[in-house]
Amino acid sequence: MTDLLRDARLSRGQFLRMMGGLAAAAAATACSTRPETTATTGGGQAATELKFIGVADQKTPMDQLAAAYQTSKPSVRITASYAPTDQVQTSLRTQLGAGNAPDLHVVYPGNGSAMSMTQIAKAGLLADLSAQAWTQTIPAGFKPAFQLDGKTYIFSAGSSVIGAVYNKKVFEKAGIEAPPTTWSEFLAVCDKLKKAGVAPIALGAQTPWVTQLITYALVPSTVYAKDPAFDDKQLAGQASFADSGWRDAMEMYLELQKRGFFNDNPNGTTFEQQTSMVATGKAGMAIQVSAVLPDFRKAASSPDDLSMFPVPGADDANSVWIPAGVVVGLGASAKGKNAEEAKAFIDYLGKQESINAWAKAIAAIPLTQDASSTIDPAVESFLPFTKDRAVPFMDQRWPNAEVQPVHFAVIQELLAGKSTIDEALKKMDEAYKK
Amino acid sequence: MTPVTAGRARPAHAGRRRRFSAAAPPWFFAAPALVVYALVVLYPAVSGVVYAFTDWSGIGQDMSFVGLANFRTLLGDEQAMGSIGNTLLLTVAIVAVQNGVGLLLALGVHARLKSRALLRVIFFSPVVVSPVMVAFLWKYIYNPDPSAGLNGLLGLHVDWLGDPSVALWSIAGMVVWQYAGYSMVIFLAGLEGVPRELHEAAMIDGAGTFQRFRYVTWPLLAPAVTINLMLSTIGGLKLFDQVFAATNGGPGYATETLSTVLYKQAFVFGKFGYSTAVALVLALFVAAVSLVQVYYLRRREVTA
Repeated sequence: MTDLLRDARLSRGQFLRMMGGLAAAAAATACSTRPETTATTGGGQAATELKFIGVADQKTPMDQLAAAYQTSKPSVRITASYAPTDQVQTSLRTQLGAGNAPDLHVVYPGNGSAMSMTQIAKAGLLADLSAQAWTQTIPAGFKPAFQLDGKTYIFSAGSSVIGAVYNKKVFEKAGIEAPPTTWSEFLAVCDKLKKAGVAPIALGAQTPWVTQLITYALVPSTVYAKDPAFDDKQLAGQASFADSGWRDAMEMYLELQKRGFFNDNPNGTTFEQQTSMVATGKAGMAIQVSAVLPDFRKAASSPDDLSMFPVPGADDANSVWIPAGVVVGLGASAKGKNAEEAKAFIDYLGKQESINAWAKAIAAIPLTQDASSTIDPAVESFLPFTKDRAVPFMDQRWPNAEVQPVHFAVIQELLAGKSTIDEALKKMDEAYKK
Repeated sequence: MTPVTAGRARPAHAGRRRRFSAAAPPWFFAAPALVVYALVVLYPAVSGVVYAFTDWSGIGQDMSFVGLANFRTLLGDEQAMGSIGNTLLLTVAIVAVQNGVGLLLALGVHARLKSRALLRVIFFSPVVVSPVMVAFLWKYIYNPDPSAGLNGLLGLHVDWLGDPSVALWSIAGMVVWQYAGYSMVIFLAGLEGVPRELHEAAMIDGAGTFQRFRYVTWPLLAPAVTINLMLSTIGGLKLFDQVFAATNGGPGYATETLSTVLYKQAFVFGKFGYSTAVALVLALFVAAVSLVQVYYLRRREVTA
């Protein structure tokens, strides 16, 4: 029995030590997760510190331009942190909700997602940028992405397109001479790739946002080419997903799957795997947004192997339309104590040379162009469309943040064979009406 | 061999227990901790409840009182209801398998093995890794490619996280892998507390290995069973990190749990009020289940 007693006491001691250890560990993790706000600010005296929280795609251009800005204006320090799309949307919304927004943060153009311009500006949390000179040159077609009630709330360096990112070497090996310009040619190209022993289209549908890109690539041809005012009609309740070209787009999506043109198990494949499949030649192409072209190039042994072509969503080459959306941008917090400095930085971003630099870094088409603007050769094949056969990414006109996640989920269900196109479109229509 | 032996040993120990508690420090020693707990946990949690009766979007000042509307919406919300089913399935699977495996591991490393100290460390080590890290790790292990990860090892061709009928169980497997060591440690503590005399007495009475487990070890393990079942049930019902990192509720809605639904409602859809209502229901549900569980499991506890 004395043994037992000693045992009990010993274990209590151990317990206390363990709790002490836990507390120390908790304190340590708490410290390590604190965002580094002061680490990079040392040096400058009486510096204004501008905090920026952005999405991962913005890192390259933002770091470059922030560094340039700080050299020209030493009294300002910009501390930036980045996270992937899903994470940045949530963490930012939490910060906005708690009333401690960073001075500058990522804003998604138009409407339709939790961090989109319309949703945040409506809550009065974005600074009005309308007084800045660059806002006067926003092309008319892009205004809904930048403006709410005629006031500009977001800066974006230009537009990106959705199309097929393809591996030129794989195409050559399969005997494909030129990118397809009609839907039947597209199917024939896929067939050739399949016969050559590679997955024609790499699809990383486990990563939610990747699921939407094929529908987005097709819908401009199946919906907007026939009815450019579809968005307005849908908002007015006169059109729906179920009774429109959305159905054709979904059918075409599933036809690609039925013909075995995707890699095995797209629902278990991530964006990173998709990228590497195309970059390493295990797949012929991936339907992707041009903004991630740099990721594909990084993963390839030779970046020049990769290029893009518009996905032809129609059998008549002249009725092929493409999705071209304003790229994710940034806005200034309306309530921050550094609002003026933050706006001054955005004004700097609005200068033509900044726009050129930003657009170049993410292979985008610059918002406005001058002689020194460059356009990535990979997206040149899209330029003939951008004038009058291009529509913004669909979600930018959707009335709430629910349609897009529902779209992701129904595509995964369709790919898994757990749903029908009817059910999928019905769910999207229901979410649209919420 | 009957539990009588165990029963006879009870009074002495119970008396000792009481003496311990008589010498326990006065309650106000806990006051500083209670104050911190109240400020950091209780106050924010309770003050948040108000939002369950509003339509707040999470940002801005617009907010109006909507009464019980959020709770009515919940009842008609197909997705939330489906997620309750998923949550319960996951919980049952995790509770059963994690504790079963944990018990087997505990019995294994309790035996006089040469390498048992090392094995204990190895089995426990996944517990200290962050759940999100574990989920990312398992995404590689669950690679659908037949030549990679688990498929390659077992010669299978399963789309672990991409097939809606498999994904939920894949997540359960991941959680069990991580936390079986945790159950093991608690069972081990219970096993250490089983007096050797009882085993010796049972052996003299001619009890075999299984009988000794059934009539000596198992009844005395009851407190460990209680705590393990309760902790794993609560963990299962609240499961979030692993699901979020591995599948984000997909494919489709196949692995959506109550926690991921309330997260999405708040931070993706901007329906903070509704999300708070879901959270409230989840909290009450977890509390009710745990209380019932503790009540029944406590009744079968005996001491040596």
